Amino acid sequence: MNSKPCLTLEDCRKIGAAAMAEARKNKWSVVIAVLDDGGHLRWLEAMDGTTPFNSQVAVEKGRSAAVSRRTTKSWEDRIAAGRNALLNMPVLPIQGGVPIMTGGECVGAVGVSGVQSHEDEQIANAGIAALGLKS
Amino acid sequence: MSLKSALTVAAAGALFAAGVTFAQVPPDPNNPNEAVPEKHTYTPYGETITLAQAKKVADAALADATKREWQMCIAVVGPTGDLIYFEKMDQCQFASVSIAQHKARTAARYRRPTVVFERLLGKGAFFSYLPTLDDVIASRGGNPIIVGGKIIGAIGVSGGTGSQDDVISQAGAAAMK
Repeated sequence: MNSKPCLTLEDCRKIGAAAMAEARKNKWSVVIAVLDDGGHLRWLEAMDGTTPFNSQVAVEKGRSAAVSRRTTKSWEDRIAAGRNALLNMPVLPIQGGVPIMTGGECVGAVGVSGVQSHEDEQIANAGIAALGLKS
Repeated sequence: MSLKSALTVAAAGALFAAGVTFAQVPPDPNNPNEAVPEKHTYTPYGETITLAQAKKVADAALADATKREWQMCIAVVGPTGDLIYFEKMDQCQFASVSIAQHKARTAARYRRPTVVFERLLGKGAFFSYLPTLDDVIASRGGNPIIVGGKIIGAIGVSGGTGSQDDVISQAGAAAMK
């Protein structure tokens, strides 16, 4: 039987706090979601001034990154390059969802929504960096 | 017209005629839902809960769940039922991820604890219409968060028995009192 690492609530909070710090530093108001490797929600915070839409999108970006083991930007890029058939895949192909990788394994993902897509991703990456994992 | 389609039209006509009698189900004098109350009593909505308030509520719930060693999912929503804060403890069952959110949403949108639906449903057939209402969850663990007499959001908890969920949920809601 194989075994693989798995996020604890403590890990999720650490990711969330670092992502939140990155958003605050830039005066951005966002929703930050941390999900496990199956795309199930583990942790979510909606900053004041965000919309219900942001909560849904943050979770959906995170779920997409977790189950596909890819950034949602990679989905967006491939569609932008002309691979229109990918629009039919069960993911949200908008930048801002990043898988959490360690030792070649995906243990979850972070999804962010609230500012421009590349800024959302910057926040997600800042959160994941707090775990100090070696991918 | 073929014989088959003629029969179909005839059958539809018979059903339509019968519809008149369907509308005439007499009221049952034992049905408490037939009463028309004079006053409309409700708790008004206030401003949406802030993230700082939501964290305070969730932290109080998490502290109680940790103390009792109960593995829970804790969700805090605004008055509209939209998610503001969420946390899943390490060994909580997966079903609870959506149940906790549902309980919170129902408590906020219906402005009442979800135990109300559970208890009324338990009373019998006259309340069996309750789960046909939009988005109802008839299970305790969802409670409105009230500040200054106004509902600013709700907390939903799931992971244990309904009674365990409600204890943790109320511990969270109490942090705002």
